[in-house]
Amino acid sequence: MIGYNANWNPVFQHWHEFLLGAWLDVWVTLISFVLACLLGVAVALLRLSGLRLLAWPAFAYVQLVRGVPLLVFLYWVYFGLAIVAGLAFSGVEAAIVALTLTGSAYTAEIFRAAVSSVDRGHPEAATALGFTRRATFVHVVFPQALRIALPPLGNTLVGLLKGATLISAIGVSDMVFQAQQINLSYFTPFEPFTAVAVLLVALVAVVSLLLTGLERALRLP
Amino acid sequence: MSALAPGLLGYTFRWSIVPEVMGELAHGVRITLELSGLSVVFALALGLLVALARGSRLAPLRIAAYVYIQLFRALSLYIYVLWIYFGIAAAVGVNLSPLEAGVIALTFLNSAYMAEIYRSALGAVDRGQHEAAFSLGFSRPRAFATVILPQAIRVAVPSLVNQFVDIVKDSSIVAIVGTSDLMGVTTQLVGYYRAPFELYTVLAGFYLSIVLLISAAAAVLERRLQRHLR
Repeated sequence: MIGYNANWNPVFQHWHEFLLGAWLDVWVTLISFVLACLLGVAVALLRLSGLRLLAWPAFAYVQLVRGVPLLVFLYWVYFGLAIVAGLAFSGVEAAIVALTLTGSAYTAEIFRAAVSSVDRGHPEAATALGFTRRATFVHVVFPQALRIALPPLGNTLVGLLKGATLISAIGVSDMVFQAQQINLSYFTPFEPFTAVAVLLVALVAVVSLLLTGLERALRLP
Repeated sequence: MSALAPGLLGYTFRWSIVPEVMGELAHGVRITLELSGLSVVFALALGLLVALARGSRLAPLRIAAYVYIQLFRALSLYIYVLWIYFGIAAAVGVNLSPLEAGVIALTFLNSAYMAEIYRSALGAVDRGQHEAAFSLGFSRPRAFATVILPQAIRVAVPSLVNQFVDIVKDSSIVAIVGTSDLMGVTTQLVGYYRAPFELYTVLAGFYLSIVLLISAAAAVLERRLQRHLR
């Protein structure tokens, strides 16, 4: 490169911090994803309830949350909501709240579409066999919907992982934060940001492989 | 500050500052639209090239396009924009403005998604259309430009609009390197007025309005493009 002496030593000296930072990103992503799935199922059930009074707020929630950028959400929760509600969120807590809410709007749509795409004949058959409404949903419709929902849920998981890299913007010491620290201490911007880019691509590749494996394992014979 | 209203747990809302900052926010909207508008135009063009490479008969070109798509779809805009603005700028010795770095980052990242949208849309065009064009004596480029692409674009419009909405939302991340778009302007205003809840709520409302306007415009466009089918 033109007059730029690459110096990878700082990155290698701090590899431990990088990995710890990456682990923080993964950890925040996983917790948010699980919470987003639970909240998403709840919102989807409201939308599918057939009661306009429940379905409409759920629809508005999804539209609202999907229209707001994650970074705006993150700042809104961390700086805004914290002051108004008198809560002192830590960076990680604010990140989990923002990622969960954003994720839930997407998972709600995924679950709704998946439940709707389960063949009508199955719940009818279950009802004919004397299943209650609840048993029909839990034992017949939901397990099938989950399998249909798996590929798009995987995309949401990867999206949340990429979103989680934003948390250094509110001061959480994740892997991007470590890269910024190295840039500030050693004035070598190229190497640490390349390192986090490589780490993220590797993480996404691992998650994608796991998801492909899971899809194959759950595929109908 | 007038119009004080007691809020939750003793918090006093200061919504009265909102009219004062409308001028700055309007400027922020302009920068946000500039940033995302330029990026979407470039990404549409670059994405088409990548999609063509991905469907090329030359294996090296096809593989390169595949790697390009996988790579950019795995990166987050945040890391990518930091890498370009700080990393590449230092390594190559160019001085990018935050806005330029933002357009470059948004363009490359989204071109990968656009390429996949084009690819599936091109695949959705009926084989018979190619065959009919060739049997009428069209050359390959001419068949592509006048027969295949127009039909593919009609199929791709809903997905492309979704991508545009994502670009507008993602453009907020570029504020991290110091653009004065909606996000950047609001962050500065928060520093000045110290009313984060009010200002970030208004900010969220602005993004939501832009997104809803784009979706509404897209619905009109889609209806127009379907006119011939009715």
